Amino acid sequence: MNTRGTVYLLDDEPTMVKALTRLLTAEDFTVHGFTSVETFLDAGRTDEPSCLVLDVAMPELSGLDLQQRLAQDGILLPIVFLTGRGDIPMSVKAIKAGAVDFLTKPVQDDDLLRAVNAALERAAEQREAITEMASLRQRLANLTPREREVMEHVVAGRLNKQIAAELGIGEHTIKVHRSRVKKKMAVQSVAELVRAAARLGVGTL
Amino acid sequence: MTWITFLWPMVTAACLTMGLIHLRIGLRRTPGVAHLWFALTAFVMAAFSSLELAMIQAQNPAQFLALQRWIDFASAAILVSLVVFVWVFFGSGRKWLALLGSGLVLGPMILNLGPEPKLTFLQITGIRTVETFGGASYAVAEGTRNAWLTLFYLGIIVVMAFVVDASVTLWRRGDRRRAVRVGGTITFFLLFAGVSAALVDAGIMPTPYLASLFYLAILVAMGMELSDDVLHAAQLAADLRENEERMSLATQAGGIGLWIWDLATNQVWGSEQLQGLFGFGSPVPVAYARIVDRIHQDDREQVEQEVQRAVVDRTDYAGEFRTIGADGTVRWIGAQARITVDANGKPARMLGAAIDITARKHAAQQVDQQRQELAHLSRITMLSELSGSLAHELNQPLAIILSNAQAAQRLMAQEPPDLAEVRDILADIVSEDERASEVIQRMRAMLKPGETRLQPLLITNVIEEVLQLVNSDLNSRSVIVHCRFPPVGPRVMGDQIQLQQVLLNLILNACDAMDTNPRADRYLTIATEQRNGMVYASVADNGCGLPPEVERVFEPFHTTKKDGLGLGLPICRTIASVHQGRLWAERNEVRGATFYLELPAAKATHS
Repeated sequence: MNTRGTVYLLDDEPTMVKALTRLLTAEDFTVHGFTSVETFLDAGRTDEPSCLVLDVAMPELSGLDLQQRLAQDGILLPIVFLTGRGDIPMSVKAIKAGAVDFLTKPVQDDDLLRAVNAALERAAEQREAITEMASLRQRLANLTPREREVMEHVVAGRLNKQIAAELGIGEHTIKVHRSRVKKKMAVQSVAELVRAAARLGVGTL
Repeated sequence: MTWITFLWPMVTAACLTMGLIHLRIGLRRTPGVAHLWFALTAFVMAAFSSLELAMIQAQNPAQFLALQRWIDFASAAILVSLVVFVWVFFGSGRKWLALLGSGLVLGPMILNLGPEPKLTFLQITGIRTVETFGGASYAVAEGTRNAWLTLFYLGIIVVMAFVVDASVTLWRRGDRRRAVRVGGTITFFLLFAGVSAALVDAGIMPTPYLASLFYLAILVAMGMELSDDVLHAAQLAADLRENEERMSLATQAGGIGLWIWDLATNQVWGSEQLQGLFGFGSPVPVAYARIVDRIHQDDREQVEQEVQRAVVDRTDYAGEFRTIGADGTVRWIGAQARITVDANGKPARMLGAAIDITARKHAAQQVDQQRQELAHLSRITMLSELSGSLAHELNQPLAIILSNAQAAQRLMAQEPPDLAEVRDILADIVSEDERASEVIQRMRAMLKPGETRLQPLLITNVIEEVLQLVNSDLNSRSVIVHCRFPPVGPRVMGDQIQLQQVLLNLILNACDAMDTNPRADRYLTIATEQRNGMVYASVADNGCGLPPEVERVFEPFHTTKKDGLGLGLPICRTIASVHQGRLWAERNEVRGATFYLELPAAKATHS
């Protein structure tokens, strides 16, 4: 089924879960509803971009605690919080910790849908970033040790002459290494190489 | 006309007069048997003295003999009736002496039953007229005497022994005046009448019988008894009047109305005070039904039932009820009454006293009203503490309704619309709406000022209602609730709202006490059980506990809360006592506190 994305719903009130499921299903989302933190954590998750609509006041584990735990476990799941009472300090805390939105019940359908869409977009972005990162890492791994050494000097802004002197090899050889690095890392310019190195955490000489 | 024909009729008249007086007393007074027996002796004595006179005037032996027969019978009758009189009047004497004496006196009478009386004379040979002083004369018979007559005189001696013995017993019992006066004169009579008659019968003393003259002594003695009685009665009447006066003064001063209800005639006599209390001015006695009519119709049935029960069980009656006066004034009456029984043990009368307790009732009502107002105030305070949670409790169904409704709008916009889903949504909306209105009703009930209305309640239901009310408060404070209820919830007689108030107070206090506990360590345990006709509900926490003087928490204005009034628990305690129950607290062994509410169990109903 081709839907607009997967939404996980977590609220201790079954009737609330049911109502939101109806609303989101009517808007072509795939919805998985849960009434306890435990069943949610035990359930498997889809690879597709997905988000979590979470009631702050879960009896076993508060919404904020769950947010923290998911982050610790490295689970990237953008969260839209729902709360019974408009509590500003709590919403600030949630947003700081990466929540997409903090909505007060009763929630207007448009507000919820906007937040869910935003969350799914963020999920897609996160996904893209992850894929990009993975290919960058792969490219880095393809470099020879010498090429990596040269790359580190390049992104540190050294000239070929300086690098050649430092490594004790000919300037021409440096040039060859440099063009290979650019090719292997799939960048057109030194500027692009610097950006890729920053994302990979390379070049902290 | 000689002194003889003058004296004897006088004696006869005296006997008749005394006899008539005692006959009348005997017939009118209960018990009057003694008087009746005395009347009998007097009447027989009247006959006896007439016979004596006739014998005095006898002309020939045949006439004399005929009179002799009747005078013998009369003497036996006098003796026997005297024996019975003494027996009844003194209430003492030996039965065997009475029977023996009567037998000995009556036995020889057989000899007089034949055609010729043989008891005194076997044969009369002649009549002799004896001249005596004052120009009077009397007849004396001469002839052969019957030796069997001795038996009769033996009988007189036994009768005398009986009378003396009975008199001594009476003396010892303390009624010395009667023993001496009546016993003494009867003995005197028996002795002198007997001896003189014996001498006449033996022919030693040629005189007529003189028994009736000696009997005068008894008449005098009984006359004195009678006059003493009259004087005593007069004194009693005076005392009674004085007592009545005092009683009426006392009842007037105390506002006490007295009544006597005669169950046989169904008439009620009521004192002036009572007439005022029941608001009727008619002369007493009045019919019972008219008294009942004066009782407020809401109380009437109960009063009648309780009075009826008192009559049937012969127990005391005590009750409080309202009366309505002729001018419509409503009074509260406190009444107490006692049933008296007749000689057969049957209820005869109800004697009672009533006082006006209107002022006391009004004061009690005022206190009750103030208590209710205070309880109401305390409920409002508690609910305002809970307002955040209650708002959430209302918000939740509203949120669900909104999302459902908006989902339905979207479904309806689709082509084709999913009507089955929409139908389900509408059903959910209805049930969420009901849930919201339940919250509101629960709140409204708690906020309503109200009188105490006792009804059978399941205590577990009361607790569950309260838990519904505080549900979101418990959630937000992460309090974990354990309920330990028996399979069949114990029933109590109680006011739903007030008991909810008590439990709400205890639960909120328990939660407050656990506020300093870490979040995962806040346990509230609510238990109920029934034991020995009492129902117990306990609320236990593992919070900060109670001061060493546990009772202080029930003192007004004792509070540990920043903005508390310190009236919650004192009010809860008065609510418990209005329910004839108790409320107390105990420190837990490890930590925290337990509050106990004890209430009388409702009587088992088979519903």
